[in-house]
Amino acid sequence: MNTTVSPSEQEPGEPTGDDLRAAEYVLGVLDAAERREVQQRMIDDASLARRVEEWEQRFAPWLSRVAAVEPSALVWPRITQRLGWRTAAAKPALRDNAAFWRRTAALATAAALAAVAFGLTRPQPAVTTVAGEEQAARPVTVLARDNGAAAWIARVDAARGKVLMVPVPSPLDGSGRVNELWIIPVGGTPHSLGFLSNDKAHTIDVPAGLRNAVAAGAIFAVTLEDQSGIPHAAPSSPIVAKGSIQSI
Amino acid sequence: MDSNPQQLRDPANAAIDDLLYKVAAGDRSAFEQLYRSTASRLLGTCLRVLPDRLEAEDVLQEVFVTAWNKASQFDAQRSGGMTWLASIARHRAIDRLRGLPAQAAHAPIEFAETTADPAPAPAAAAEADAERTRLDDCLQRLEPKRRTLINSAFFDGSTYEELARRCGSPLGSVKSWIRRGLLQLRTCLES
Repeated sequence: MNTTVSPSEQEPGEPTGDDLRAAEYVLGVLDAAERREVQQRMIDDASLARRVEEWEQRFAPWLSRVAAVEPSALVWPRITQRLGWRTAAAKPALRDNAAFWRRTAALATAAALAAVAFGLTRPQPAVTTVAGEEQAARPVTVLARDNGAAAWIARVDAARGKVLMVPVPSPLDGSGRVNELWIIPVGGTPHSLGFLSNDKAHTIDVPAGLRNAVAAGAIFAVTLEDQSGIPHAAPSSPIVAKGSIQSI
Repeated sequence: MDSNPQQLRDPANAAIDDLLYKVAAGDRSAFEQLYRSTASRLLGTCLRVLPDRLEAEDVLQEVFVTAWNKASQFDAQRSGGMTWLASIARHRAIDRLRGLPAQAAHAPIEFAETTADPAPAPAAAAEADAERTRLDDCLQRLEPKRRTLINSAFFDGSTYEELARRCGSPLGSVKSWIRRGLLQLRTCLES
């Protein structure tokens, strides 16, 4: 069978058919659709599967020729979560919004680690037990206090204009004021993104007019403000925590 | 293949084979040992084609979940355990790469006209001659364009289209060079 080379492309001496397809698959030159086709066929076509295996063996010496890189400490626990070896965390009230919780779990874990890095606290066991399935991995921005302690972790979903904010819980200062989140574009002035909880993770909808401002290089900042009047036109008190967005 | 001359049968590889058989029997502690002894190499494999660290670590999770679920299909007579795992990792990483939005382009490919390998496999320089394999020798016998393209394709996971763009040659030519090179490689390795 020769399904892989059109006559016009074929030249004498070229390998054809399944063996070529297997070689191309192993070499990694096929596009997404072609790869899926090979993978599907391998399920039922033992001969093709065998040819792929043979090509894997031929290239095996190169497979080991990569620099070893130690994975982060998060990888192993997540594998055991995916395998269901850990008891799931108490079911959250918003469990129907699975995507939200997956994101929150990922961020909470990051927050816990950041907190450890800053010597603030030990990771809470619960946050590592929420099943993390397929999720788009995105960079996070740490909002730190003046003393360097992590106060919030921000995760920007630019496509949907949302920012997930996960706090390292801390008490308010007792003045009755609350946290207000600001975005400060490069070379610009602060724009309010609204109320920010000091102890609960929540998603902030970025107003359409500010979405372009939430970009790499911009700064997230938090100030204490009167709850009434949020979003304010400008901050009225010093920044309590801030972080620069490295990448989205 | 009936024989596996290039599959190193050193104790470390044999240990990985044994761990995989235990994993196939549902041994969780063997699975953790397997992770401890192979994860860094497999992450390196993922990172080679998928430079984004977070994506690569996510793929690494998939690789181990797959290894747990499919360990019963592993057969040391047909493939060394490390090769089996690394193949899973590499293919998962390539599949993930294909699913991502347009990637930052790899560096252009320039064909050297010398007979010396213009793009030795990474880390090859640091390896002793003893590490040089039949595959390297066979690759070395290919004409430079074929050699360079096959090497780039394997280590970058680039498609034919990307390779054609990177080297500025027509797609048909690139396909032809690679296909002929693959045939030559097979012939050489089987001789």
